Amino acid sequence: MSLIKTPEHEVQKVSRLEVTPASRVEESGEAFTLTVELPGVGEKDIELTLENRTLSITAENTVQNFNGHTLVLTEIPEVRYRTAFDLPERVDTTGIQAASRNGLLILTLPKREEVKPRRIAIAAG
Amino acid sequence: MKAYLNTMGNPWRVFDELMNEFPYELLNRAWRSRAGLYPRVNVWENEKGLAVEAEVAGVDPDKLDVAVDANVLTIKGEKEQADGTRGEFQRSFNLPFELESENITAAVKNGMLTVSIPRKAAEKRKITIAKQ
Repeated sequence: MSLIKTPEHEVQKVSRLEVTPASRVEESGEAFTLTVELPGVGEKDIELTLENRTLSITAENTVQNFNGHTLVLTEIPEVRYRTAFDLPERVDTTGIQAASRNGLLILTLPKREEVKPRRIAIAAG
Repeated sequence: MKAYLNTMGNPWRVFDELMNEFPYELLNRAWRSRAGLYPRVNVWENEKGLAVEAEVAGVDPDKLDVAVDANVLTIKGEKEQADGTRGEFQRSFNLPFELESENITAAVKNGMLTVSIPRKAAEKRKITIAKQ
């Protein structure tokens, strides 16, 4: 219970609902590709951090306000996207690359050299 | 599709209900994913027209199609789903007024599609009543 008295004239902003964005991981021999859906979020609004082996993503979407119009249907709320991934040991965290395109955050998580598939040469004998 | 039963009383009640109850979903053929209808939209209107904002992250803007036919607005396209499969979606909105098929603006930014569609100007016709 808060002991701080909120002055009545202060408008309280409703805090945004936190949602987990849709994401998927694809694996290739070289790397994992993590795609996170962040519609309404621009590249500059994405907070992407790595702490030890935990990758965290936080972002707030921007929902348009059409001046001079009445809102008749609202399915898209203002939200805070938040998710985190514990990266496996196979990932070389120093080589992580991130790109943002059309509401998608695409992360390339390279695999450590020693875990990449290698062909083993067979000596004739 | 909901059917409105116009029983006795005010014959215009059907139209009032259509207007107030949220008419935008009367016709809806959509790609049903676990998330429900796709894409999600916010719809605004004023006397000049309609503004629609739709979430289309992951949809190729070149394959996104916005069409207007009389009072029906249709958004369709292709989206790569979370499991990697490519899905086609289509969502239509049946509006209580007619739309212009010209002068529509549509833009995609940060995975959000914004469409502005003007209303068709009301045609005033004089209706002649034939004498019997």
